[in-house]
Amino acid sequence: MVCTGCALLCDDIEIGKNECRHACRIGDAHITSTNKIDPMVDQSPVDMDAAIKRAAEILVSAEKPVFVGFGNSVTETQAIGIKLAEKVGAEIKTFHTGIFNDILNGRVKTCTLPEVRDYADVIVFLGCDPMNTHPRLLSRYAYYPRGEKRQHGWEEDRIAITIDIRFSHTASICKDAYTIDPHRQIEFMDALMDALSNKVPKTTYDKKRILKLAGTLKKAEFGVIFAGTGASAPPRDGTVRLMDRLNESSDFRLLLLAPGYNLRSIAEQLRDHPCDDGDGGSGSGGGMDLHEADCILCLGFDLMNSLPAHDINGKMIVIDPNETLTSRYADVVIPCAAGGIDCAGSAVRMDGEVVEVPLIRESERLSDGAILKQLLEVV
Amino acid sequence: MKMEFGEFLAAPECGVVIVTYPDVFRTEAGLRHGKFSSEYQELSAMIILDPEDMAKIEVKGGDLVEVLGEEGAVVVRVKESEKEHPGIGYVPEGAWANILGASPVSAKVRRSQQEIPAIEEVYHR
Repeated sequence: MVCTGCALLCDDIEIGKNECRHACRIGDAHITSTNKIDPMVDQSPVDMDAAIKRAAEILVSAEKPVFVGFGNSVTETQAIGIKLAEKVGAEIKTFHTGIFNDILNGRVKTCTLPEVRDYADVIVFLGCDPMNTHPRLLSRYAYYPRGEKRQHGWEEDRIAITIDIRFSHTASICKDAYTIDPHRQIEFMDALMDALSNKVPKTTYDKKRILKLAGTLKKAEFGVIFAGTGASAPPRDGTVRLMDRLNESSDFRLLLLAPGYNLRSIAEQLRDHPCDDGDGGSGSGGGMDLHEADCILCLGFDLMNSLPAHDINGKMIVIDPNETLTSRYADVVIPCAAGGIDCAGSAVRMDGEVVEVPLIRESERLSDGAILKQLLEVV
Repeated sequence: MKMEFGEFLAAPECGVVIVTYPDVFRTEAGLRHGKFSSEYQELSAMIILDPEDMAKIEVKGGDLVEVLGEEGAVVVRVKESEKEHPGIGYVPEGAWANILGASPVSAKVRRSQQEIPAIEEVYHR
């Protein structure tokens, strides 16, 4: 089975009667979760048809609709969601996808996860903490396993480094950790750029340590940067500039650790799409602010629990397998089957590999794709 | 009602930069027990402070503090850090952290007598 707990899409999951083998904490909780919701309109339980009908009415009357999320739906559902957005004139905000475009259009080099396992000798975790977000990344691909060219694994063949504004759990197991001041990230990046250009950096950070880091990065045969996409990550252009500089003297590739199991797929589908703001942030980098929207459709995304508070005034429609903070406040709640649990389809792993996601168990719940299709037919 | 002298004194404050972070145990609790569960609240409504900062505001591990951010304020429980990071407070990602503003955000921290708000009280639509 395939776990849709995160974008690693681990394909070695075995489901027994009362157990879920090989999954991490997130995967096990995701697969065995029983936290379901009922269809609701104005906080009152209704049947599915009434909830879908009310959602359609809101979408039809909306002048500034915005769709948010999409990262926790299978690829087929995302495609229907894009069609629905086009039909009702909605902007799509996926969050975190901005830097994916630099990978997808070839602006920065990338690689696959098996290539990381087989060839990577220097691995940098930049503004991310995979131990807490993608728990099996280090054991399956990035650090511990033996690979074709890295037979001695992490003990001798690999150097893992964290650069982050917090000394994270990932930092505690890496060979070197650089904890940077939250308000002086750009200074650190500039100092590292100078050091990579053989200049003594002008910085208040420890110059010797930065020169040592630059030396390690320059010696990499196959370097990989895993970059976060959230608040702890450096700005998108800073990461791209770092990649450019690194590739002047060594060979580095970029992979992104974003929330949601299928965010790369929606980034691929929305590339150069007029509906997407693609800013990768909280909506401030382009497009409509959420407080301007008169209708927000949350597809598999707990908006209120995920982003700093927005002054949201529009009607809210939630399509989600589980109860969330957002569903508690939504005008319409439509429960759906969860991708990879009671809904099959395909998904794109964080490195671009297409993975077929089979059903783990049957249920009577409609898939989010089927719900969007019904909305598409009636709006 | 008898008033203690100390109640007329303002609780000492300390300026910190709030940095949010992901926590696998919190994510697991949200999936397993739901986002309205006590397990999820316990792992979300907390702040990790440096012992030096804790001494400044006269609190110990387990005490409640009010965090006053740029966009709002919230009461959370203090956990003492094992690493030194004076001037920085780490709060798990989620509704309680979001109320303060986008991370990293400047904030003041002070002892509080109030209770931790439930998740549905944190966010008002």
